[in-house]
Amino acid sequence: MVREFTLPDVGEGLTEAEIVSWLVDSGDAVSEDQPVAEVETDKAVVEVPSPVDGTVREIHAAEGEVVPVGDVIIGFDTDEDDDAGAATTDTTGGADDETVESAVSAVAETDDAPAEHVFASPSARRLARELDIDILTVEGSGPGGRVTDRDVRSHAEGDASTEPEPKPESAVQSATTAVGDEVDELELGGGASTVTEGEADRDRTLAAPATRRLAEEEGVDIDAVSTEQTRDGEAFVAPEQVREHAAGGVEQTAPGAEAETGEAGETPAGGVDLDPLPDAEVQRRETREPYTGVRQTIGEAMEESKYTAPHVTHHDEADVTRLVETRGRLKPEAAERGASLSYMPFVVKAVVAALKQYPILNSQLDEVAGEIRKKHYYNVGIATATDAGLMVPVVKDADRKGMLDIADEMNDLVEKARDRSIAPEEMQGGTFSITNFGAVGGEHATPIINYPETAILGLGEIKEKPRVVDGEVVPRHVLTLSLSIDHRVIDGAEAGQFTNTVKRYLEEPELLLLE
Amino acid sequence: MVVGDISTGTEVLVIGAGPGGYVAAIRAAQLGLDTTLVERDAYGGVCLNRGCIPSKALITGADTAHEAAAAEEMGIHADPAVDMAGLQSWKDGVVDQLTGGVEKLCKANGVNLVEGTAEFASEGTVRVAHGGEGQGSETLEYEHAIIATGSRPIEVPGFAFDGEHVLSSKHALDLDSVPESLVVVGAGYIGMELSTTYAKLGSDVTVVEMLHAALPAYEEDVGRVVRKRAEELGVEFNFGEGASEWEPQGDGVRVTTETEGGETATYDADTVLVAVGRQPVTDTLGLENVGLDPTERGFLDTDDYGETNVDGIYAVGDVAGEPMLAHKASAEGEVVAEVIAEEPAAMDFQSIPNAVFTDPEVGTVGMTEAEAEEAGFDPTVGQMPMHASGRALTLRESEGFVRVVADADTGFLLGAQIVGPEASELIAEVGLAIEMGATLEDVGSTVHTHPTLSEAVMEAVKNAEDAAIHTLNR
Ligand SMILES: Cc1cc2nc3c(=O)[nH]c(=O)nc-3n(C[C@H](O)[C@H](O)[C@H](O)COP(=O)(O)OP(=O)(O)OC[C@H]3O[C@@H](n4cnc5c(N)ncnc54)[C@H](O)[C@@H]3O)c2cc1C
Repeated sequence: MVREFTLPDVGEGLTEAEIVSWLVDSGDAVSEDQPVAEVETDKAVVEVPSPVDGTVREIHAAEGEVVPVGDVIIGFDTDEDDDAGAATTDTTGGADDETVESAVSAVAETDDAPAEHVFASPSARRLARELDIDILTVEGSGPGGRVTDRDVRSHAEGDASTEPEPKPESAVQSATTAVGDEVDELELGGGASTVTEGEADRDRTLAAPATRRLAEEEGVDIDAVSTEQTRDGEAFVAPEQVREHAAGGVEQTAPGAEAETGEAGETPAGGVDLDPLPDAEVQRRETREPYTGVRQTIGEAMEESKYTAPHVTHHDEADVTRLVETRGRLKPEAAERGASLSYMPFVVKAVVAALKQYPILNSQLDEVAGEIRKKHYYNVGIATATDAGLMVPVVKDADRKGMLDIADEMNDLVEKARDRSIAPEEMQGGTFSITNFGAVGGEHATPIINYPETAILGLGEIKEKPRVVDGEVVPRHVLTLSLSIDHRVIDGAEAGQFTNTVKRYLEEPELLLLE
Repeated sequence: MVVGDISTGTEVLVIGAGPGGYVAAIRAAQLGLDTTLVERDAYGGVCLNRGCIPSKALITGADTAHEAAAAEEMGIHADPAVDMAGLQSWKDGVVDQLTGGVEKLCKANGVNLVEGTAEFASEGTVRVAHGGEGQGSETLEYEHAIIATGSRPIEVPGFAFDGEHVLSSKHALDLDSVPESLVVVGAGYIGMELSTTYAKLGSDVTVVEMLHAALPAYEEDVGRVVRKRAEELGVEFNFGEGASEWEPQGDGVRVTTETEGGETATYDADTVLVAVGRQPVTDTLGLENVGLDPTERGFLDTDDYGETNVDGIYAVGDVAGEPMLAHKASAEGEVVAEVIAEEPAAMDFQSIPNAVFTDPEVGTVGMTEAEAEEAGFDPTVGQMPMHASGRALTLRESEGFVRVVADADTGFLLGAQIVGPEASELIAEVGLAIEMGATLEDVGSTVHTHPTLSEAVMEAVKNAEDAAIHTLNR
């Protein structure tokens, strides 16, 4: 039988993912759990395993394509029985069938809200049942695509949106061919609805606030919008009618008007330089890349941090001459034990020691609860540049680990981050972060806090510089430090004291033995 | 047929006169159907007699006493004495007024009332055993039957309810004196409502809960606010512990609890209240005689029209599944009555609101952010802390928040979580918005009265639009 396989939720709360590469081709034999594709979520690249034993029948998504969770990405032929009964007894198969079905009905809707959810008032829903219409198939004209009573009615009368509105015409006809009773009827139906010029002139109009706002934006007098709808005997105007009116009244037949306003709706107000189809000239002058995946996640994290936490950055320098000596001495020792010892484990240890003295830098502000949460555990994030962008793997419980363990773990995590095999959990739960911007050169920076943490320590490049010791200018190894803090919870004085403590441990690394 | 049986026929037979059953019966009768309502105990069911109404009455009593005694910062000094018997008789008066009202309404709408316990005899007939021994029984023939037999408290093994040492919620609502100390097993909504009530009336309350939060069915930050306030009232929480046994200890009880790891603890108190959930009443109805098969948990599965998998038999309220709430029971009752009358009704509620009458109250409706994500929306969230509400401050109730969840693309409201004063009332506005398919802009542009708590709903909505005035937008 054929098994269609949908993109599973490969990470928490994921809604879409990019197919990075296919590891199989059509016709390939696969076994259950064999990786068939690599997909990039907003956090990492993960492998998608085959759900079955069988052969690949068809691949539905191209490499580089961004696919919503739940979309069919690949089909398999399996050796299982091909009769219809088997499909229903196979629970996963059944579920997949459903997914496919719901995906189809979601497409039938105007927006891509999940299919079961109906945005329509209870009265409209009841009307639909009365008229024996599946409300999910009705196109909504209200704000956001909300289905109104009128939408349901016009759906029942045949797809009104594909034909010019018949109502005004027939009203004119009956008004001209008949007198007497018909006139009464017209009046009952609401005088405004029969104004053929498409201009009404009421004193009062009912409309939702969003509709009024739209009218204002379009420069339309809502009392002048013609409508046949009434609520409690008063004229009621829907957004679609405002748009029609703005587009030139009822002469514009519905489909034309809709197509136009549809487009107009997509162009942001005052949309400068966002022309959807760059011509050849524009393409030559700039390259456009989608802002998605890891890049977008980084961007959003930075935005949230910088717009939430008022940052202050404290700069200082440490004379790490002795640290350089110490590390130089320990390095071969560490190598013998199979570890590669950089300066980072020393910094991690110095930071943890200082955090214990200034716990406010190892905290989080819980705005909702109105509480500052000081953490008694020390999970240190190490900002890492990767080809895909910045990632921050976390060394958990750094206070309870030895220098070499930290070195090992860090090297391991950093490598995983670089080759994108890192698991989302390995980048979560940090309480304080360190960024080694000096790795690419540079003295000072203004690091952005890894929100909701409240502080981040930036390290410059260790350089030999002339410094005055005991009245003499001598060459010393100098490490510059840039500490950014969330000034909502941490004050400058605390930032300074913390930095002084870190400095002390880095200048006299043997102090770390006491920790 | 048993000797002494008399047989009558009815178009619609409703079993159980709780908020599900009596509403179904009244609506069916309104629609011109010949309707019979059978109740074995008291009109109004659990809700009116030993649930929603009596519990809210006691909560009001406890609040009144507590607030009067704790108003010194406002310059008000009082030391109210609580006469529990007096409080109980006031509560009973309220209950009687309402249950009497239900009975009158049923009669006025032409519902035939039958007192007794109903049991399905065969397809199309129900036997009703009247009151006590020797009072006889009768057989009723029906065209349509609506099962609305509600639910009863779940017993923890070893904790048989005796009304003296081991209390169910029903017993806890009928105490004629305030216990000096009370162990409450279960920190769900019933456990938390009663713990708060008795803490305010002066009991030393110890709560034991297997999970790790108060109101564990809600989001973590919701339960946290309620727990914090309860702790301020002196309630002591022991999470991660399940009640395993009890023994008499002097005049009171000694309750033993066990953690998952097998560690035990004991708590001494006057009595222990067990509130660990409720189970549907479907085991005493002779369902096998009509071929109805309840689910493993005892619920009856129904379709969008409230019909079970047996033609002509419907189920509403607690027996028809979660959420087990009175307003859900009533809403279902109305739908089923209209379906039987061939009106175009169906259970198409987009959301069912939910309230917990703790201090502060909790009101939720629709989806949480996580649920919205799971459902495939791209949710946007807006929040307003109660301490930024002028009205909340003047009520001295500034704990909590209003949070709204909407679809980022369309602005449609999807849900709300409210913790704070009158959350049970505030949630109604969001319920209406969801049901109407209103957008953030619709609610945000609706002018709200100042100074009221409802402004917090508007502000949360505006916060979701990054346009809140009284909080920082993010
Ligand atoms: C302490 C407490 C507080 C609560 N607070 C709230 C609240 O604040 N808000 C809320 O919405 N809900 C609350 N509830 C829940 C609410 O009471 C129930 O959801 C509601 O009563 C369910 O209504 P129902 O019609 O399904 O059944 P019920 O109210 O349980 O009524 C069922 C009726 O059927 C009768 N019956 C059963 N079997 C038979 C039979 N064989 N023959 C004849 N009659 C029969 C019973 O005697 C009963 O009267 C609370 C419950 C408790 C216990």
